[in-house]
Amino acid sequence: MSAPLIELDGVRRVYDTGRVQVAALDRIDLQVASGDFLAVVGPSGSGKSTLMHILGCLDRPTTGRYRLGGVDIADFDDDGLAEVRSRTIGFVFQDYSLLPGTSALENVAAPLLYQGVPRKERLARATAVLERLGLGDRLDHEPTELSGGQQQRVGIARALVTNPALILADEPTGNLDSASGAEVIQLMQGLNRSGRTIIMITHDAEVAQGATRQVHLRDGRIVA
Amino acid sequence: MRTIELLRLGLSRLGHSRLRTALTMLGIIIGVASVVALVSVGQGATSGITSRLQGLGTNLLTVNPGATRTGFTRGAAGSANTLTVDDANAIAALPGVAGVEPEIDSSQLVIAGTSNETAPIIGTSAAYASVRDYTIWLGSFLTPADVTNHLRVAVLGATTASNLGLGQGSIGTTISVGGLPFQVVGIFQPKGTSGAVSADDEVVIPITTMQDHFDNAQSVRTIGVSVASAGQIELVKADIQVTLEGRHGIAPGGVDDFSISDQSQLLQTVGSVTGLLSILLAGIASISLLVGGIGIMNIMLVSVRERTREIGIRKAIGAKAGDIMAQFLIEALAISLIGGLVGIAIGVAATAVIGLIAGWGFVFNPLTVLVAVVFSLAVGVIFGVWPARQAARLDPILALRYE
Repeated sequence: MSAPLIELDGVRRVYDTGRVQVAALDRIDLQVASGDFLAVVGPSGSGKSTLMHILGCLDRPTTGRYRLGGVDIADFDDDGLAEVRSRTIGFVFQDYSLLPGTSALENVAAPLLYQGVPRKERLARATAVLERLGLGDRLDHEPTELSGGQQQRVGIARALVTNPALILADEPTGNLDSASGAEVIQLMQGLNRSGRTIIMITHDAEVAQGATRQVHLRDGRIVA
Repeated sequence: MRTIELLRLGLSRLGHSRLRTALTMLGIIIGVASVVALVSVGQGATSGITSRLQGLGTNLLTVNPGATRTGFTRGAAGSANTLTVDDANAIAALPGVAGVEPEIDSSQLVIAGTSNETAPIIGTSAAYASVRDYTIWLGSFLTPADVTNHLRVAVLGATTASNLGLGQGSIGTTISVGGLPFQVVGIFQPKGTSGAVSADDEVVIPITTMQDHFDNAQSVRTIGVSVASAGQIELVKADIQVTLEGRHGIAPGGVDDFSISDQSQLLQTVGSVTGLLSILLAGIASISLLVGGIGIMNIMLVSVRERTREIGIRKAIGAKAGDIMAQFLIEALAISLIGGLVGIAIGVAATAVIGLIAGWGFVFNPLTVLVAVVFSLAVGVIFGVWPARQAARLDPILALRYE
């Protein structure tokens, strides 16, 4: 068996508030294999977001080791982490986080810009992904002209366009009605079946049922 | 990321908030336009004044009598009667002297037909026109023969001629000067005003005729000397001093009863004054450019704050700090460069209009434009770097949370 895609080894993340030190994450050990669909479940304040920031290379562990694809991310500087995000991670956000005043097509093409992909190819790849997600007739729409479900699908398309090893979804259904939310979960299940590794963070036990594996966080520790 | 992509990204934003971009640019436009216009005005004024001074005569030295002395009382400069026509002749014999014209003044009633006016009369030599840089419009100037033969001929200044109704066809006619008939042989081109005295209101007659009829003194009011070349001015000046001291019996180093002035002193003084003026104008204009630059910084800081979330998103999807920095810096540079170019156009137009009104013509210095472009780009960089750094250094997590 090959090495897992993600390996967390005794990861702590401590916030120094000046007077007291708060451990948002405490000795987290976690392995995620390529092809997993993992749900990280926990109430607010359990450290989910901190875990996602570390998994997404937006933040670094205070102590402990995080290996992504076998490489210790402590070896990278900030620009190196940006490169890792650009090449290996696709983010899906609760509030979609699309660039305002920018068309669906340009939004989806944006990550390729930072990979140095030529404009023509960027637009072609973005169009292909949007068409695959059923948004082929919404290419020129700006975020405000799309429904919540459509916006989240644009968000997922943006995460997919770089063909990343890992999709990180932070409460992807949090702002959606249950029908649109179910659609998004089905979409992600489909992606997972076609081999994509997905980590989804949620506080909703029902949404977490959509994943193939769950870990539960409480007070910065994995409890189950 | 490639430069062209960065440009596209930086510029695409300018169209999003057109009014704000335009207003920010206005600060730079006004700054650059005023730098270009005011510096050009300074240069125009300088060259205008300089050319007018040079119009008084080329390589001109003026020898004036000194002050009278009565006991310990010193009279006004030029009040003594120490310079003579013979002094002028002696100067004319010096090497490097191209022309000498002694002048004796008078004021006489001049009558032509039914018109009359009391005009300044100048008795001088045939070198007067070339030394004082006059150009003949009609007829010809006095000849050396006119002077040696004591002829009653007159050349009129442009203003005097028009006052008396003389012009085309008046050459060869007779006018009355101080009750005596004089033949008009020439009329000058207008020369313009120098100081309070019009150089065009005068009647020029041979100095010999002047002495015969109006002023039989040997002393002259002034002697104009034109030097063959600018490089010889100092030498000729020294020669004149030695010659006149010798003729007046003054020991070297004693108190001279005459003074020699040249235009280089005047030009130098005027040059330093107008140079100061130019610096002052450029300084004032630079302040408005500085204010424009602060306007850019202000707007860019607001823009970074407003787009914090966008920056967070871009960082999450792989933008490096340098990419973000470049995006904002290009935006600031574009505002300042476009503003600078528009400002140059307006400044050059303003220069043309001011030059037309002030009468020194269109003075255009490409260097000013180059400096203005460089300056506006520098303003963009200086006032854009800090906001762009702020943007680039945002923590992606905080930026993503920012509402």
